[in-house]
This record gives sequence, structure tokens and C-alpha cells, in this order.
Amino acid sequence: MNMVTVKQVEDDTLVSKVATHEQLKCPRFCLQGIRIPLYQFSSQCLLDNSPFEGLPCIPEEEQSILDSLLLAQWEDRVWKGVLRYDVTTSEIKVICGQRKFLAQLNEEWGINYMPKHEEKKICSQGDLPAFKWTKHHEELLFCVASGEMLKPELIPSAAVPDGAVLIIINEIPVEYGHVFLVPCGSDSFYRVLDARSLEMVARVAVEINNCSFRMFYDCPAAGTSHLYFQACYFPSPLPVEFTPVDTFFRDGRRGMCISCVTDYPIKTLLFESNQKVKIMVEVLVEICSCLQEKSIPYNLLISDCGKKMFLFLQLQKLSNSRTLSAWECGGYFLFKSTSEFDQATEEAMLKKLSDVSLDDEGFEVVKQLCCSIADKFSG
Amino acid sequence: MALIEQSLNRRYSLYVHEELDELSESFTITDPSISGHPIVFASLGFLKMSGYSKEEVIGKNGRVFQGPRTNRRSVMEIREAIREERPIQISLLNYRKDGTPFWMLFHMSPVFSKDDGSVIHFVGVQVPISPKPRRSRSGVGRNGVNLCEDGSRMRGDIVFGSCRREVCSDSLVELGPVLDLESVLDSDSRGLDIEETCEASDLEKQRAANAIENISSLLTRYSEITGRLVCERRCSLPGAGVLSSSLIISLGRIKQSFVLTDPHLPDMPIVYASDAFLRLTGYARREVLGHNCRFLSGEDTDPSTLSKMKESIRVEQACTVRILNYRKDKSSFWNYLHISPVRNASGKIAYFVGVQIEEGCKDQVRHGLSPEMRQLGAVGAVRVAVRSLSIGAGPSMS
Repeated sequence: MNMVTVKQVEDDTLVSKVATHEQLKCPRFCLQGIRIPLYQFSSQCLLDNSPFEGLPCIPEEEQSILDSLLLAQWEDRVWKGVLRYDVTTSEIKVICGQRKFLAQLNEEWGINYMPKHEEKKICSQGDLPAFKWTKHHEELLFCVASGEMLKPELIPSAAVPDGAVLIIINEIPVEYGHVFLVPCGSDSFYRVLDARSLEMVARVAVEINNCSFRMFYDCPAAGTSHLYFQACYFPSPLPVEFTPVDTFFRDGRRGMCISCVTDYPIKTLLFESNQKVKIMVEVLVEICSCLQEKSIPYNLLISDCGKKMFLFLQLQKLSNSRTLSAWECGGYFLFKSTSEFDQATEEAMLKKLSDVSLDDEGFEVVKQLCCSIADKFSG
Repeated sequence: MALIEQSLNRRYSLYVHEELDELSESFTITDPSISGHPIVFASLGFLKMSGYSKEEVIGKNGRVFQGPRTNRRSVMEIREAIREERPIQISLLNYRKDGTPFWMLFHMSPVFSKDDGSVIHFVGVQVPISPKPRRSRSGVGRNGVNLCEDGSRMRGDIVFGSCRREVCSDSLVELGPVLDLESVLDSDSRGLDIEETCEASDLEKQRAANAIENISSLLTRYSEITGRLVCERRCSLPGAGVLSSSLIISLGRIKQSFVLTDPHLPDMPIVYASDAFLRLTGYARREVLGHNCRFLSGEDTDPSTLSKMKESIRVEQACTVRILNYRKDKSSFWNYLHISPVRNASGKIAYFVGVQIEEGCKDQVRHGLSPEMRQLGAVGAVRVAVRSLSIGAGPSMS
């Protein structure tokens, strides 16, 4: 079974170009003169003790401003032909079996798109980085940043402020609304997952407030030097979200609990919080940095409008194997040919997941690590 | 035979026969609950038009009126309408007892039980179409394959001939020149021609719709006496039943003016209309569901804009137009309309979405979002909602 790889997605995108060209590592310089819509969060933040749900500025029964903004910008780029294909023409089915794994037939995604010739030339000549940004301006949808106002604010056209998260369209989408979220610091992109970045993107999930919206983070492979998240709108919850959990850490006072997802082929932890995302995010980030030290590959899936964060734990990989993407860990697989799509079986998907899963022994260590870190933050 | 005799008597008081006989229109009433879906009543007008006696018609299926130029597609459409228990209006070629063919506008509509919403009867009205042969227009679907052989082998419930599809199951056609959006389903049948075409005039369509209205209200009246009430529309909102409640909930969060139309149903009826659309146009939800969007057009609506929309629907592409539309109170407004096909999880087109912006409101920026942004945001949200419809299991259907 030839599964398409994440690598191909990254090859021809702004993110990887940004990362692979030294000149572009300074967004402050590169973004000069570029004006895009800026969504500023309200000062009422997720840091304090306010309950997670019911941010008064996000009405439940109405499409949120941020959701409208993201979808409108995405649709606009569809119009302008930025995307390589219409992903909504791809068929999605449930793979027969108890797990209800999802399969998408996406013949376009598997194609190894040739980089546009002229771009390559410019890159090889090491031409003006600012030109690159202008060229890719269309891929830049908008940015989000923290703000001082009581309500979130959308400025239709603004310079990118320091510490913003850039929302960049993925022109080779795996599903509708596929974007990269790239936190940028004052002088460069971040390299490692930090609490501030995770909190910012979690807040995007909260304020988009659309139950179809999912966010992903794949721990960086060796040699990758930038931090970015991905997100898209999935037509249904991922199979892992339906799987029962066993809670082993609960901090009632802070409304956070950590559970292990039981009877799932890849070792998975679920972090939930009904308030104090800051604590949850800080705990999670510290856990992730420990995992990185231990060379345990992991992925994050943020669902349920930011209330749930799944941590998938993979086996330290062999030189030739690749790690799975977060959506694959969640139970969503892409196939590039009809025959593979038709022949996909639950057994094959189970094996695919269990083959890369961290072993029982390692999982116990991670759980203990979680408890001790969570205890430390609760104290 | 007893079943057939009782079919009307069970629901309506005995005098219903006399009252129905008083009506001048040509129509039949059929009972889908009896095997063979037989005719249980035929009006005097129908007997006169067809040349059959009452005894020859009662108990028969509508297929006895089929002829050699029977159109397979029309048969399928009528059968689909019966299966889906919805009205249909379609031009058909019928045959008299003496074998002579005649064009008529066939308008069929279900009558529902008020108790459980089940279909009690179908009323089928036949309005003769005055012949006016003319050349077919682009997009007009006709299926003129020689059916001499096929027709006899057909196992359809009702087999009629059709000159062209001009379906219009609404009663709003009086709103002047209509937006002529032929179903995209028809595009594949173009080029297959028969000797003449005919199209019902607006007057004839109106006559058919009025006749249905009259008969239905008469039946409703006579069911009141027996207490076994029937009604023209299923008690739930017409068309609303087509969409799942989860989809309706998702769509309800989108506050823009928009409608969803179903290209798989004849005449592409509206199957969802947002509250903002109803506010914008002045119609009630029940007045728009099940109807084609053409009621928004009026006499000063530019036909070239309509054909542009029609073309983009045919080729399944999105388009944005500026079109003069009319409210229920006949006042007009310029509408920046964006139309786009919307696909489900199978990748197939499930609906078309039309999002309206009234021109005067075009500059109103709300929460930093321009009307155009809100329009596209609504399109995106509809895509997400429709793509989230139930995902099929098992092997690919394609």
C-alpha cells in the first residue's frame, strides 16, 4: 500500500520555502509593506480564570467573525485559482469495520507537483526575499495577534504585527479550508513548540467556534527548523474522538484532566480543559519538550473548538520509516488511487497505526511524566 | 374493485363524487396505496378529452395512455416524483382511445393525510397545450429517441410522451417573465430531436396550478366532514424534510441571505431558505420551499444575466452576477448574487447555493467584514455544512 506522504505537501509550499531559504527567516523584513487582514483577539484572554466556554464575544448560535474571515479568504483564493484542485470533489468514505476509519480518495494530492519554473530560478539566484513574499502574497490569508480591546477586532488591512500568527493557505489541501498557521516572532520564526504559540492557535480554534474545525501539529522531523500548525474543516469527527477514554489525572480546581484513549491502535492521550487553557497548554508544551528530548515522535490534534487536545505517541523511528501525520493518527487516511481507496481495510489501517505506536512500557513512562508535570503546574 | 370504490369514500363524504363531477377540468385521482397505483376517479373533462368511458379508465394505471412516442425520461421523472411524494409539472404527449396523440401539460400533486403525513392520493391535472411548433433552444432537454420498441417493453407506472421539460411546480408563475433554469440533468439529452416541440404557456401552467388548487381544496373540505383530514402539503414544511436536521442546524448559524436549491429535483427547487433571505424578499418560508428561484425575477430582469446564471449552473461553475430581483410586494432591488455548486462528502454536487447581497447594503462593513467577505464566508460555511452530510460506508460508489 503506497500511502502518500506529508513530505509532498510541504515541498512546494510557502512554509517550506520560507524555511529553506535563509533570507526568508526574517519575516519582519520580508513582511514589510505587506498589508493583510488582521484579527486581534480581545484582551479578555484565556490566561485568566474565566471559564473556557462562553467567551461573551463569541455567540454560540452564529457563525463567528473569525470563521467567516477564514472561510471567506479561502473561498476568495479558490476563486482566484490559487489552489491546485477542488478538494471538495474528493470522495470520503467510512472504511468498513467497527473503528469507522475515514478514507479520502484524492488523486491530485499524490501528484508530485513540479515547482513553478520561474520561482525556482529566483530561489536559486537568491533574489530579493521581499519579492518572494509579494509573490506569495495570495497565499497569505490573514494574521491573528493579541489585542487590547474588550472585543476581538478585525482590521481589514494592516501590517503584520510582531508575535502574530500568519494564516497561509495550503494550495494542496487535504480537506476544505486547509491552512498553515505560522507563529512569527519579532525577528524570526519559532523553531520549537512554545506555550505562547500553542495558546495562540488554541485560541484560534476557540474563536472560530466551528465544530468541523480541526488543528494539527506534527513534531518536527530532523532538519526542519520552523514551527507551524495546520488546520482544516473535516466533514466528521475523527475516529479517535469517538474512542472511550480512561482518565488518570484530574485537577478539578483548574478544570483540567488527562486521559488515555483506550483500545486505540496508537498510544494516545487526551487533554481536556473547561477553563484555564493556559495551564493545559503549559503542561502540554512541557510534556512535548520532554518527548522531544527523549526522541519520541508525537502529534497533536486540537478539536471540539479548542476544548480537546489529543497527543499521539509514536515510536522512535527507524532511519527509513516516516512518522504519521496527525490526521492519520486520528484515523483519517488519504489514498491517491481508486484501487487503493477501494481496497482499504480496517485491518490495514489498524496495522499502519499500531506499527508506529509507542510501546506499552514507553507509554507508562509518558503517563507518569504527564502526572508529574501536571502536578507541578497544579501546585 | 371494492378497494378502488372505497378509495375516495374512506376519506371524503359521499357527495365528493358529485362535487368532483361538477368541475370542468380534465383530471384523475390515483391511489398509491392500492397495488398498481390505479385511477380511482376520472373527471368528465378527462373522459371527454381521452375518449374513454369511465369503466375503461377506473382501476387502470396511467400507463394506458402511453403511446409510441413515449419519453423514457419523462416517465422516470414522474415515477421519481411519485416515489418522492412531491408535485411535478411536465409537458407530455398522451394518446386518445382512437390512437391520436395530443400534447398536454401534466400537473400532478400529492394529497397528504393530516394525521400521519402519508400520501392518500395523487391528483393529476391535464391541460391541453395549444400546438405551437418551434425550434428548440439551447439547454432545452428533449428526448426524442424512437420509443416504438422501447415503449412497449417499458415497465413504468405511468408512461407518457414529453415534448420538453418545462417543470414548474409552483403557483408563482404570474410574476412575469420567468427565470428559465432548466435542470442540468437535461444537458445530456440535447441533440436528440423529434419532429416538433411544444411548450406550455404561462397561462396553461397557471391553469394547471389553479386546477390542482381547486381540486385539493375541495378534497380538503370533504375530508373535514369525515374527520379524516387531508391536506395539500405535508404538515411539516414542504421541502424541509429533504434536509437532515443536523444540516439545518448548521445552516441556521449562517446569518446571510441565502438559499440552497436541489439540482437533482425537477426545476431545481429551493430546499433551504435562510431567515435573512425571507426578510430580504418578503416571502414566507412555505412560499419559497419547493419552488424554483425564478419568482425573484420580474419584467425588467435582464435575460442575459439569467442565461449567464443558467450557463454557470449547467457547467457546474460558480458565478457572481448583479441582477434585478423582485420582492413579494413587487418592489425591486439590485442583488449581487453569488451562485456555486456545493458538494457532499462523496464529492458529488448536492446543492447549489445562492447568496444574496442587496446593493444598497453593499458598503455596510460589519465587524470589519465587508458584504463580499460575508458572502464568501457564508458560501464556505455552507460547503463545510454540506460536506459534513453523512459519509457513506463501503466501496466507492463512483
